[in-house]
Amino acid sequence: MEPSEQARFEAVVLPHLDAAYTLARYLTRNEHDAEDVVQDACLRALKYFDGFRGEEGTSARAWLLAIVRNTAFSARHRRRPEADALEFDEAQHSDAVADAHPESALLRSAAKESVGRALDRLAPEFREVIVLRELEGLSYKEISDVAGVPVGTVMSRLSRARTRLQQALREEEGG
Amino acid sequence: MTVTHPGFEAQLDAYLDDELAAADARELEAHLAQCRECARFRNERLELRAAIRAQVPTFEAPATLRDRVRAAVGATGGVARAPRRFAVRGMWRSLALAASLVVVALGSWRLALQRAAGESLADDVLTSHIRSLMPGHLTDVLSSDQHTVKPWFNGRLDYSPPVYDFSGRGYPLLGGRLDYVDGRSVAALVYGRRQHLINVFLWPVARRPAAAPASRTHQGYHLLHWTTADYTYWVVSDLGLPELGDFAGLLRQADSAAGAPK
Repeated sequence: MEPSEQARFEAVVLPHLDAAYTLARYLTRNEHDAEDVVQDACLRALKYFDGFRGEEGTSARAWLLAIVRNTAFSARHRRRPEADALEFDEAQHSDAVADAHPESALLRSAAKESVGRALDRLAPEFREVIVLRELEGLSYKEISDVAGVPVGTVMSRLSRARTRLQQALREEEGG
Repeated sequence: MTVTHPGFEAQLDAYLDDELAAADARELEAHLAQCRECARFRNERLELRAAIRAQVPTFEAPATLRDRVRAAVGATGGVARAPRRFAVRGMWRSLALAASLVVVALGSWRLALQRAAGESLADDVLTSHIRSLMPGHLTDVLSSDQHTVKPWFNGRLDYSPPVYDFSGRGYPLLGGRLDYVDGRSVAALVYGRRQHLINVFLWPVARRPAAAPASRTHQGYHLLHWTTADYTYWVVSDLGLPELGDFAGLLRQADSAAGAPK
Protein backbone atom coordinates (compact mmCIF):
# COMPACT_ATOMS: atom_id res chain seq x y z
CA MET A 1 0.00 0.00 0.00
CA GLU A 2 1.42 3.39 -1.01
CA PRO A 3 1.53 6.10 1.63
CA SER A 4 -1.13 8.03 -0.29
CA GLU A 5 -3.29 4.92 -0.38
CA GLN A 6 -2.74 4.49 3.34
CA ALA A 7 -3.84 8.08 3.89
CA ARG A 8 -6.92 7.42 1.76
CA PHE A 9 -7.73 4.32 3.79
CA GLU A 10 -7.44 6.26 7.04
CA ALA A 11 -9.57 9.07 5.64
CA VAL A 12 -12.28 6.70 4.42
CA VAL A 13 -12.39 4.16 7.23
CA LEU A 14 -11.34 5.83 10.48
CA PRO A 15 -14.27 8.31 10.58
CA HIS A 16 -16.58 5.30 10.87
CA LEU A 17 -14.70 3.59 13.68
CA ASP A 18 -17.28 4.63 16.29
CA ALA A 19 -20.08 3.21 14.15
CA ALA A 20 -18.07 0.03 13.64
CA TYR A 21 -17.41 -0.31 17.36
CA THR A 22 -21.05 0.35 18.24
CA LEU A 23 -22.26 -2.37 15.88
CA ALA A 24 -19.62 -4.78 17.19
CA ARG A 25 -20.62 -4.01 20.78
CA TYR A 26 -24.23 -4.95 20.12
CA LEU A 27 -23.40 -8.01 18.03
CA THR A 28 -20.86 -9.45 20.47
CA ARG A 29 -22.44 -7.99 23.63
CA ASN A 30 -18.93 -7.81 25.05
CA GLU A 31 -16.54 -4.86 24.88
CA HIS A 32 -13.36 -6.93 24.56
CA ASP A 33 -14.78 -9.11 21.79
CA ALA A 34 -16.03 -5.94 20.13
CA GLU A 35 -12.53 -4.45 20.04
CA ASP A 36 -11.10 -7.66 18.60
CA VAL A 37 -13.82 -7.79 15.98
CA VAL A 38 -13.27 -4.19 14.90
CA GLN A 39 -9.50 -4.58 14.70
CA ASP A 40 -9.87 -7.76 12.71
CA ALA A 41 -12.45 -6.12 10.47
CA CYS A 42 -10.17 -3.16 9.78
CA LEU A 43 -7.37 -5.50 8.72
CA ARG A 44 -9.79 -7.24 6.37
CA ALA A 45 -11.00 -3.88 5.11
CA LEU A 46 -7.42 -2.92 4.40
CA LYS A 47 -6.92 -6.10 2.44
CA TYR A 48 -9.95 -5.46 0.24
CA PHE A 49 -9.55 -1.70 0.12
CA ASP A 50 -8.20 -1.77 -3.43
CA GLY A 51 -11.56 -3.11 -4.52
CA PHE A 52 -13.46 -0.37 -2.74
CA ARG A 53 -13.94 2.81 -4.69
CA GLY A 54 -17.19 3.98 -3.25
CA GLU A 55 -19.01 3.70 -6.55
CA GLU A 56 -22.54 2.44 -7.13
CA GLY A 57 -23.84 4.23 -4.10
CA THR A 58 -22.02 2.05 -1.58
CA SER A 59 -21.13 4.29 1.30
CA ALA A 60 -17.84 3.72 3.11
CA ARG A 61 -19.84 3.42 6.29
CA ALA A 62 -22.04 0.61 5.01
CA TRP A 63 -19.01 -1.06 3.45
CA LEU A 64 -17.10 -1.09 6.73
CA LEU A 65 -20.16 -2.13 8.73
CA ALA A 66 -20.68 -5.08 6.40
CA ILE A 67 -17.14 -6.26 7.11
CA VAL A 68 -17.62 -5.75 10.85
CA ARG A 69 -20.88 -7.67 10.71
CA ASN A 70 -19.37 -10.61 8.84
CA THR A 71 -16.32 -10.64 11.11
CA ALA A 72 -18.52 -10.68 14.20
CA PHE A 73 -20.71 -13.46 12.89
CA SER A 74 -17.81 -15.65 11.79
CA ALA A 75 -16.02 -15.07 15.10
CA ARG A 76 -19.18 -16.07 16.93
CA HIS A 77 -19.54 -19.12 14.77
CA ARG A 78 -15.95 -20.10 15.47
CA ARG A 79 -16.39 -19.81 19.20
CA ARG A 80 -19.76 -21.52 19.47
CA PRO A 81 -20.47 -23.50 16.34
CA GLU A 82 -23.19 -25.47 18.07
CA ALA A 83 -25.11 -22.37 19.08
CA ASP A 84 -25.44 -20.86 15.65
CA ALA A 85 -27.07 -22.30 12.62
CA LEU A 86 -25.68 -20.49 9.60
CA GLU A 87 -29.02 -20.52 7.93
CA PHE A 88 -31.47 -18.41 9.79
CA ASP A 89 -35.05 -19.47 9.55
CA GLU A 90 -37.31 -16.66 10.62
CA ALA A 91 -40.42 -18.78 10.50
CA GLN A 92 -39.03 -21.30 12.96
CA HIS A 93 -37.20 -18.85 15.07
CA SER A 94 -38.42 -18.14 18.55
CA ASP A 95 -37.15 -15.71 21.15
CA ALA A 96 -36.22 -18.59 23.40
CA VAL A 97 -33.54 -19.67 20.96
CA ALA A 98 -32.01 -16.23 20.93
CA ASP A 99 -30.74 -16.40 24.45
CA ALA A 100 -28.30 -19.29 24.29
CA HIS A 101 -25.29 -17.05 24.93
CA PRO A 102 -23.95 -16.94 28.47
CA GLU A 103 -22.35 -13.52 28.19
CA SER A 104 -25.69 -11.88 27.65
CA ALA A 105 -26.29 -12.45 31.34
CA LEU A 106 -23.38 -10.12 32.08
CA LEU A 107 -24.79 -7.38 29.95
CA ARG A 108 -28.20 -7.75 31.44
CA SER A 109 -26.81 -6.36 34.66
CA ALA A 110 -28.80 -3.84 36.59
CA ALA A 111 -27.20 -0.78 35.01
CA LYS A 112 -28.88 -1.43 31.70
CA GLU A 113 -32.24 0.06 30.88
CA SER A 114 -35.13 -2.06 29.79
CA VAL A 115 -34.94 -1.38 26.05
CA GLY A 116 -31.23 -2.19 26.05
CA ARG A 117 -31.91 -5.46 27.87
CA ALA A 118 -34.68 -6.38 25.47
CA LEU A 119 -32.38 -5.62 22.54
CA ASP A 120 -29.65 -7.89 23.91
CA ARG A 121 -32.15 -10.71 24.11
CA LEU A 122 -33.20 -10.44 20.48
CA ALA A 123 -31.83 -12.95 18.01
CA PRO A 124 -28.68 -11.53 16.37
CA GLU A 125 -30.37 -11.12 12.99
CA PHE A 126 -33.10 -9.00 14.57
CA ARG A 127 -30.67 -7.13 16.80
CA GLU A 128 -28.49 -6.10 13.88
CA VAL A 129 -31.31 -4.53 11.85
CA ILE A 130 -32.44 -2.51 14.87
CA VAL A 131 -28.90 -1.26 15.51
CA LEU A 132 -28.26 -0.51 11.83
CA ARG A 133 -31.52 1.39 11.47
CA GLU A 134 -32.07 3.12 14.80
CA LEU A 135 -28.50 3.70 15.95
CA GLU A 136 -26.53 3.89 12.72
CA GLY A 137 -29.29 5.48 10.66
CA LEU A 138 -28.78 3.29 7.58
CA SER A 139 -31.32 3.15 4.76
CA TYR A 140 -33.07 -0.14 3.93
CA LYS A 141 -30.84 -0.47 0.89
CA GLU A 142 -27.71 0.00 2.99
CA ILE A 143 -28.93 -2.48 5.59
CA SER A 144 -29.60 -4.91 2.76
CA ASP A 145 -25.97 -4.50 1.63
CA VAL A 146 -24.62 -4.92 5.15
CA ALA A 147 -26.71 -7.94 6.11
CA GLY A 148 -26.59 -9.50 2.65
CA VAL A 149 -30.35 -9.96 2.32
CA PRO A 150 -32.91 -8.43 -0.07
CA VAL A 151 -34.55 -5.11 0.82
CA GLY A 152 -37.88 -6.88 1.28
CA THR A 153 -36.33 -9.11 3.93
CA VAL A 154 -34.85 -6.06 5.67
CA MET A 155 -38.31 -4.53 5.75
CA SER A 156 -40.04 -7.57 7.25
CA ARG A 157 -37.19 -8.38 9.62
CA LEU A 158 -37.10 -4.84 10.97
CA SER A 159 -40.84 -4.87 11.51
CA ARG A 160 -40.72 -8.20 13.35
CA ALA A 161 -37.78 -7.01 15.43
CA ARG A 162 -39.72 -3.95 16.56
CA THR A 163 -42.77 -6.00 17.41
CA ARG A 164 -40.62 -8.35 19.49
CA LEU A 165 -39.03 -5.45 21.32
CA GLN A 166 -42.48 -4.09 22.14
CA GLN A 167 -43.62 -7.51 23.34
CA ALA A 168 -40.55 -7.86 25.56
CA LEU A 169 -41.12 -4.42 27.06
CA ARG A 170 -44.79 -5.12 27.69
CA GLU A 171 -43.91 -8.40 29.39
CA GLU A 172 -41.41 -6.62 31.59
CA GLU A 173 -43.96 -4.01 32.61
CA GLY A 174 -46.62 -6.61 33.21
CA GLY A 175 -44.41 -9.08 35.05
CA MET B 1 -57.39 -4.06 6.24
CA THR B 2 -55.94 -5.30 9.49
CA VAL B 3 -52.71 -4.46 11.27
CA THR B 4 -52.29 -8.03 12.46
CA HIS B 5 -51.13 -8.94 8.98
CA PRO B 6 -47.32 -8.85 9.18
CA GLY B 7 -46.97 -7.63 5.62
CA PHE B 8 -49.03 -4.60 6.42
CA GLU B 9 -47.15 -3.90 9.62
CA ALA B 10 -43.96 -3.90 7.57
CA GLN B 11 -45.59 -1.41 5.17
CA LEU B 12 -46.43 0.85 8.07
CA ASP B 13 -42.91 0.59 9.41
CA ALA B 14 -41.50 1.41 6.01
CA TYR B 15 -43.81 4.42 5.88
CA LEU B 16 -42.60 5.61 9.30
CA ASP B 17 -39.01 5.03 8.17
CA ASP B 18 -39.66 7.19 5.11
CA GLU B 19 -38.83 4.23 2.89
CA LEU B 20 -42.15 3.91 1.08
CA ALA B 21 -42.67 5.12 -2.47
CA ALA B 22 -44.68 8.36 -2.61
CA ALA B 23 -47.83 6.81 -4.11
CA ASP B 24 -47.91 4.04 -1.52
CA ALA B 25 -47.24 6.55 1.23
CA ARG B 26 -50.23 8.69 0.23
CA GLU B 27 -52.47 5.65 0.18
CA LEU B 28 -51.28 4.65 3.61
CA GLU B 29 -51.77 8.12 5.05
CA ALA B 30 -55.34 8.08 3.87
CA HIS B 31 -55.86 4.74 5.59
CA LEU B 32 -54.18 5.90 8.81
CA ALA B 33 -56.54 8.87 9.02
CA GLN B 34 -59.57 6.61 9.31
CA CYS B 35 -58.25 3.44 10.98
CA ARG B 36 -57.93 3.70 14.75
CA GLU B 37 -56.02 0.45 15.06
CA CYS B 38 -53.38 1.52 12.57
CA ALA B 39 -53.07 4.92 14.23
CA ARG B 40 -52.42 3.20 17.55
CA PHE B 41 -49.84 0.96 15.90
CA ARG B 42 -48.09 4.05 14.58
CA ASN B 43 -48.09 5.73 17.99
CA GLU B 44 -46.62 2.66 19.65
CA ARG B 45 -43.87 2.52 17.05
CA LEU B 46 -43.07 6.18 17.60
CA GLU B 47 -42.89 5.54 21.35
CA LEU B 48 -40.56 2.62 20.76
CA ARG B 49 -38.33 4.75 18.57
CA ALA B 50 -38.14 7.43 21.24
CA ALA B 51 -37.35 4.81 23.89
CA ILE B 52 -34.55 3.35 21.79
CA ARG B 53 -33.07 6.80 21.21
CA ALA B 54 -33.24 7.55 24.93
CA GLN B 55 -32.05 4.25 26.34
CA VAL B 56 -29.80 2.51 23.83
CA PRO B 57 -26.45 4.30 23.57
CA THR B 58 -24.02 4.46 20.70
CA PHE B 59 -20.39 3.98 21.67
CA GLU B 60 -17.14 5.77 21.00
CA ALA B 61 -14.32 3.51 19.88
CA PRO B 62 -11.75 3.40 22.71
CA ALA B 63 -8.53 5.33 22.05
CA THR B 64 -6.52 2.12 22.39
CA LEU B 65 -8.55 0.53 19.60
CA ARG B 66 -8.04 3.56 17.38
CA ASP B 67 -4.29 3.34 18.04
CA ARG B 68 -4.22 -0.37 17.32
CA VAL B 69 -5.98 0.11 13.99
CA ARG B 70 -3.68 2.99 13.03
CA ALA B 71 -0.63 0.95 13.95
CA ALA B 72 -1.85 -2.00 11.90
CA VAL B 73 -2.49 0.21 8.88
CA GLY B 74 0.90 1.88 9.24
CA ALA B 75 2.63 -1.48 9.40
CA THR B 76 1.13 -2.52 6.08
CA GLY B 77 2.47 0.68 4.57
CA GLY B 78 5.92 -0.40 5.78
CA VAL B 79 5.61 -3.73 4.02
CA ALA B 80 4.67 -2.09 0.75
CA ARG B 81 7.62 0.28 0.84
CA ALA B 82 10.14 -2.53 1.40
CA PRO B 83 8.54 -5.62 -0.02
CA ARG B 84 11.72 -7.61 -0.59
CA ARG B 85 12.85 -7.21 2.94
CA PHE B 86 9.88 -9.00 4.36
CA ALA B 87 8.69 -11.27 1.60
CA VAL B 88 11.83 -13.38 1.62
CA ARG B 89 10.38 -16.73 2.48
CA GLY B 90 8.11 -18.49 0.08
CA MET B 91 6.38 -20.55 2.70
CA TRP B 92 4.11 -18.08 4.41
CA ARG B 93 1.00 -19.81 5.48
CA SER B 94 -2.08 -18.17 6.74
CA LEU B 95 -3.49 -19.01 10.12
CA ALA B 96 -7.12 -18.24 10.76
CA LEU B 97 -6.94 -16.52 14.10
CA ALA B 98 -8.33 -13.14 15.01
CA ALA B 99 -5.70 -11.49 17.19
CA SER B 100 -2.16 -11.89 18.32
CA LEU B 101 0.66 -13.58 20.31
CA VAL B 102 4.01 -14.35 18.64
CA VAL B 103 7.51 -15.23 19.85
CA VAL B 104 10.44 -14.04 17.77
CA ALA B 105 14.02 -15.10 18.34
CA LEU B 106 16.52 -12.42 17.42
CA GLY B 107 20.02 -13.32 16.39
CA SER B 108 22.30 -10.71 17.86
CA TRP B 109 23.21 -9.84 21.43
CA ARG B 110 24.91 -6.74 20.10
CA LEU B 111 21.59 -5.13 19.40
CA ALA B 112 20.93 -4.81 23.08
CA LEU B 113 24.30 -3.19 23.69
CA GLN B 114 24.02 -0.76 20.85
CA ARG B 115 20.63 0.45 21.81
CA ALA B 116 20.88 1.69 25.33
CA ALA B 117 17.28 2.66 25.77
CA GLY B 118 15.87 -0.24 23.77
CA GLU B 119 13.14 2.06 22.52
CA SER B 120 13.81 1.73 18.82
CA LEU B 121 14.29 -2.01 19.28
CA ALA B 122 10.92 -2.15 20.96
CA ASP B 123 9.49 -0.31 17.96
CA ASP B 124 11.08 -2.84 15.61
CA VAL B 125 9.70 -5.73 17.59
CA LEU B 126 6.25 -4.18 17.66
CA THR B 127 6.30 -3.51 13.92
CA SER B 128 7.29 -7.11 13.37
CA HIS B 129 4.43 -8.25 15.57
CA ILE B 130 1.85 -6.16 13.75
CA ARG B 131 3.16 -7.28 10.39
CA SER B 132 2.79 -10.90 11.46
CA LEU B 133 -0.94 -10.30 11.94
CA MET B 134 -1.42 -9.57 8.27
CA PRO B 135 -3.04 -12.47 6.46
CA GLY B 136 -0.49 -15.12 5.50
CA HIS B 137 2.39 -13.62 7.48
CA LEU B 138 2.12 -15.40 10.78
CA THR B 139 4.03 -18.65 10.41
CA ASP B 140 6.52 -20.39 8.11
CA VAL B 141 6.21 -23.63 10.03
CA LEU B 142 2.67 -24.28 11.15
CA SER B 143 2.76 -26.84 13.92
CA SER B 144 1.72 -27.21 17.51
CA ASP B 145 4.49 -29.79 18.00
CA GLN B 146 7.59 -28.29 19.56
CA HIS B 147 9.64 -31.19 18.12
CA THR B 148 8.62 -30.04 14.64
CA VAL B 149 9.07 -26.34 15.20
CA LYS B 150 12.47 -26.40 16.88
CA PRO B 151 14.29 -28.46 14.19
CA TRP B 152 12.75 -26.25 11.52
CA PHE B 153 15.17 -23.50 12.54
CA ASN B 154 18.22 -25.74 12.00
CA GLY B 155 20.30 -24.30 9.18
CA ARG B 156 18.12 -21.21 9.04
CA LEU B 157 19.67 -19.53 12.05
CA ASP B 158 23.01 -19.78 13.83
CA TYR B 159 21.28 -20.77 17.04
CA SER B 160 18.49 -23.11 18.04
CA PRO B 161 15.82 -21.29 20.01
CA PRO B 162 14.12 -23.14 22.88
CA VAL B 163 10.55 -24.06 21.91
CA TYR B 164 7.86 -25.12 24.38
CA ASP B 165 4.22 -26.03 24.19
CA PHE B 166 1.98 -24.62 26.90
CA SER B 167 -1.30 -25.88 25.47
CA GLY B 168 -2.00 -27.59 28.80
CA ARG B 169 -1.92 -24.13 30.38
CA GLY B 170 -4.04 -22.46 27.72
CA TYR B 171 -1.18 -21.04 25.61
CA PRO B 172 -0.82 -23.49 22.71
CA LEU B 173 2.18 -23.34 20.42
CA LEU B 174 0.97 -22.36 16.94
CA GLY B 175 4.18 -22.37 14.94
CA GLY B 176 7.27 -20.38 14.09
CA ARG B 177 8.77 -18.30 11.34
CA LEU B 178 11.86 -16.44 10.29
CA ASP B 179 11.47 -12.72 10.59
CA TYR B 180 13.65 -9.78 9.81
CA VAL B 181 14.40 -7.28 12.52
CA ASP B 182 16.97 -4.52 12.53
CA GLY B 183 18.77 -5.75 9.46
CA ARG B 184 19.09 -9.46 10.12
CA SER B 185 17.18 -12.73 10.07
CA VAL B 186 15.65 -13.74 13.36
CA ALA B 187 13.36 -16.53 14.51
CA ALA B 188 9.82 -15.98 15.72
CA LEU B 189 7.71 -18.38 17.77
CA VAL B 190 3.96 -17.99 17.82
CA TYR B 191 1.73 -18.88 20.73
CA GLY B 192 -2.03 -18.47 21.08
CA ARG B 193 -4.35 -17.47 23.87
CA ARG B 194 -8.03 -17.71 22.96
CA GLN B 195 -8.24 -15.41 19.94
CA HIS B 196 -5.07 -13.54 20.79
CA LEU B 197 -1.63 -14.19 19.42
CA ILE B 198 1.62 -13.74 21.33
CA ASN B 199 4.93 -12.89 19.65
CA VAL B 200 8.02 -13.86 21.63
CA PHE B 201 11.33 -12.55 20.31
CA LEU B 202 14.48 -14.10 21.74
CA TRP B 203 18.11 -13.99 20.80
CA PRO B 204 21.37 -15.16 22.39
CA VAL B 205 23.26 -12.97 24.79
CA ALA B 206 26.77 -13.43 26.13
CA ARG B 207 27.52 -13.02 29.83
CA ARG B 208 25.00 -10.39 30.60
CA PRO B 209 23.35 -10.15 33.97
CA ALA B 210 19.91 -11.72 34.08
CA ALA B 211 17.11 -9.17 34.35
CA ALA B 212 13.53 -9.58 35.49
CA PRO B 213 10.66 -8.79 33.09
CA ALA B 214 9.95 -5.14 32.43
CA SER B 215 6.82 -4.08 30.61
CA ARG B 216 5.91 -1.24 28.32
CA THR B 217 2.84 -0.41 26.30
CA HIS B 218 2.97 0.93 22.76
CA GLN B 219 -0.04 1.71 20.60
CA GLY B 220 -2.28 -0.52 22.66
CA TYR B 221 0.08 -3.51 22.59
CA HIS B 222 1.98 -4.78 25.59
CA LEU B 223 5.66 -5.67 25.38
CA LEU B 224 7.57 -7.65 27.99
CA HIS B 225 11.35 -7.76 27.96
CA TRP B 226 13.73 -9.81 30.09
CA THR B 227 17.10 -11.48 29.96
CA THR B 228 18.17 -14.97 31.06
CA ALA B 229 21.67 -16.40 31.19
CA ASP B 230 21.52 -17.28 27.48
CA TYR B 231 18.79 -15.29 25.77
CA THR B 232 17.16 -11.96 25.81
CA TYR B 233 13.40 -12.08 25.34
CA TRP B 234 10.78 -9.80 23.88
CA VAL B 235 7.15 -10.82 24.19
CA VAL B 236 4.43 -8.85 22.38
CA SER B 237 0.67 -9.17 22.37
CA ASP B 238 -2.59 -7.33 22.59
CA LEU B 239 -3.45 -9.73 25.39
CA GLY B 240 -4.02 -8.08 28.78
CA LEU B 241 -0.89 -7.48 30.82
CA PRO B 242 -1.78 -9.91 33.68
CA GLU B 243 -2.20 -12.82 31.26
CA LEU B 244 0.89 -11.84 29.31
CA GLY B 245 2.80 -11.81 32.59
CA ASP B 246 1.42 -15.26 33.35
CA PHE B 247 2.69 -16.47 29.98
CA ALA B 248 6.10 -14.90 30.58
CA GLY B 249 6.23 -16.74 33.90
CA LEU B 250 5.62 -20.07 32.12
CA LEU B 251 8.41 -19.33 29.64
CA ARG B 252 10.86 -18.40 32.37
CA GLN B 253 9.94 -21.47 34.38
CA ALA B 254 10.39 -23.74 31.35
CA ASP B 255 13.75 -22.13 30.58
CA SER B 256 15.13 -22.69 34.05
CA ALA B 257 13.73 -26.23 34.15
CA ALA B 258 15.47 -26.96 30.85
CA GLY B 259 18.75 -25.74 32.33
CA ALA B 260 19.05 -22.67 30.15
CA PRO B 261 19.36 -24.41 26.80
CA LYS B 262 21.88 -23.23 24.27
